[in-house]
Amino acid sequence: MTAENSTFAETSIIDRTAAHLLVVCSAIPPEQLDAVLANLAEAFPVESVVVTAQDQLPVNAPTNLRIISARQSNVTWMLKPEDFVNAYEIGREQQVRAILMLGPGANSLKPQALRELAVAALSRSIDLVIPHYTLPPHAGLINSAILYPLTRALFATRTRFPLTIDLGLSMRMVEHLATVGKRFVAANQVDALLWPVSEATVAGFAVDEVEVGTRDVPQPSDPDINTILALVTGSLFADIEAKAAFWQRPRRLPPAHRQASKTALTDGTADVPRMVEAFRLANSNLQEIWSLVLSPNSLLALKRISVLDAAVFRMPENLWARIIFDFVIAYRLRTINRGHLLGALIPLYLSWVASHLNVTASGTSSERHIEAVAAAFEADKPYMVARWRWPDRFNS
Amino acid sequence: MQKLIAGISQTSRLALASPAYINDSSIWQHISDALHQSLYRVLTLLIEVLPGILALFVALAIFTSCGMLISRLLRCCLSWVKFDLRLARVSGDAWASASPPTEIVARASFWICVLLGLIVGVSAFDASYATGTALPISLLPYVTHTVGAVFLLIAGILIARFLARSVLISAVNAQLQYARFLSLGVKWLVLVLTAAMALDHLEVGGKIVDLAFGILFGGIVLTLALAVGLGSRDLVSRSLESHVEHSGERGPVAHDASSSSEQLRHF
Repeated sequence: MTAENSTFAETSIIDRTAAHLLVVCSAIPPEQLDAVLANLAEAFPVESVVVTAQDQLPVNAPTNLRIISARQSNVTWMLKPEDFVNAYEIGREQQVRAILMLGPGANSLKPQALRELAVAALSRSIDLVIPHYTLPPHAGLINSAILYPLTRALFATRTRFPLTIDLGLSMRMVEHLATVGKRFVAANQVDALLWPVSEATVAGFAVDEVEVGTRDVPQPSDPDINTILALVTGSLFADIEAKAAFWQRPRRLPPAHRQASKTALTDGTADVPRMVEAFRLANSNLQEIWSLVLSPNSLLALKRISVLDAAVFRMPENLWARIIFDFVIAYRLRTINRGHLLGALIPLYLSWVASHLNVTASGTSSERHIEAVAAAFEADKPYMVARWRWPDRFNS
Repeated sequence: MQKLIAGISQTSRLALASPAYINDSSIWQHISDALHQSLYRVLTLLIEVLPGILALFVALAIFTSCGMLISRLLRCCLSWVKFDLRLARVSGDAWASASPPTEIVARASFWICVLLGLIVGVSAFDASYATGTALPISLLPYVTHTVGAVFLLIAGILIARFLARSVLISAVNAQLQYARFLSLGVKWLVLVLTAAMALDHLEVGGKIVDLAFGILFGGIVLTLALAVGLGSRDLVSRSLESHVEHSGERGPVAHDASSSSEQLRHF
């Protein structure tokens, strides 16, 4: 990064030396920034930490932190390619050993969580540290239904949240992500999503996950499921297509080193009839489109479950796995327009949500069901590989 | 005297009889001559047309062969310089087609050559009529219009299918019960418009086609408007309720579905 493009300004009274850690904070309100700074000061009492502030610099910043002003970022609910590029450039300027990227709402993270996110990258043993949030029972459903099972099956990683707004990164990891991010920026795809877990896995970097407790996860400005699902799954499908040479090889999943957290049982079945009705409507109207994407077995199975009553509605895990795999294949083959393809996935996703709500309402914990779904994805990976290589055949 | 009168009457009888015999043979001769002349004109026309047709096919064949050669050369050259890889580095994931860029360039070059051959062939065909022939060539512009109308129809059908599918998926996701009806309506709107444009391009029907199209199109639009207006009352009321809730003008919502839907967070 050239000096004329830099907008850095040092405000701390501490002499400038090579810092240990760079903390990149996105644009957040001043009161949230104060809370984040206080937590950082508590988490890193002895380490040399540089913190970037997007807006005007705080007045009463802790003295053991060096605050610098950085380029404005419009992070709302997910990190953008430009964020990684900026983080790498600042990190290289400041000669830090690791970078901690925090998104909006980071003031809800406890100091211990912040420390755990950074210390693994600081010790140079882990390149990418992913937070494991403790979310409410029916939160992060897209992640539970699609992102986590797909990432686990194809990239052989147990990261529960493959797409997070907080990350702990080693310098080589952030350099790699910045290289990827520059391609998106050069192609004017400034709102594209980067998938750090798959990037780290393909590059052979070490990935770890740490428990960070609860967090206020920022939501997209447009909370419409149609928009969110198309954006997130479309990005993941494109990433899977780009890394096909990697995930087609068999890989062993690392052993689980943490037990599935027990979430409180809640009854969210009030929405189930609406979602089941939406699925039935789609089943009667979108058969022509689904038949271009799904295998005959899957279509028959969908027809069978469409007649189930809402109270006992259940989508088998292996059926859901094959549906998602078929959609990934169709995304790659461009069987139909990609926008139409992702739109046709929405009713199927809602049917999975309805099934998930019924399962959790029956006494099974949410995490146990999600683990069962992920296991089904793993078991059906050979089906995915076979169809990827020979797309004209619907294997039984 | 009687012998003379009998001779004269016999002669007149003979005179009357022999012209009828002579007229029949000349009529058939005339008919035969006319048929021969028309056959001669047809054969002459055919002889005049054949070189043009031959020139058309020869030009088409030559340019098609050149197109195949150029396509193969381009495919080899672009593969050798790794055109796909270089383009992927530049465009990233922005490449939207299912076929690799090399294949698209090769196919495009082939079809451009075929099109050029067609143009040259038609020009050669037209030139064979240019000199002193009485044969009307008004069919040639009509053939051009027909080709344009066919392209219009193809484009219209593709657009109709795309729009119909878009509307169907959006309506289903909006949980509209008449999604399929709406999709069919949009499809037929576009198809009717396309057919009217094609007929207008062919200059067929004139004002009758314009009038029929106006009536049909207006009828379909009115039907759709009524269906959407009457059928989407629930959707509009739901949309208004959610807008009022967000603006805080209404108190806590009593029914359970709304409160439990707040517990669901897709992201």
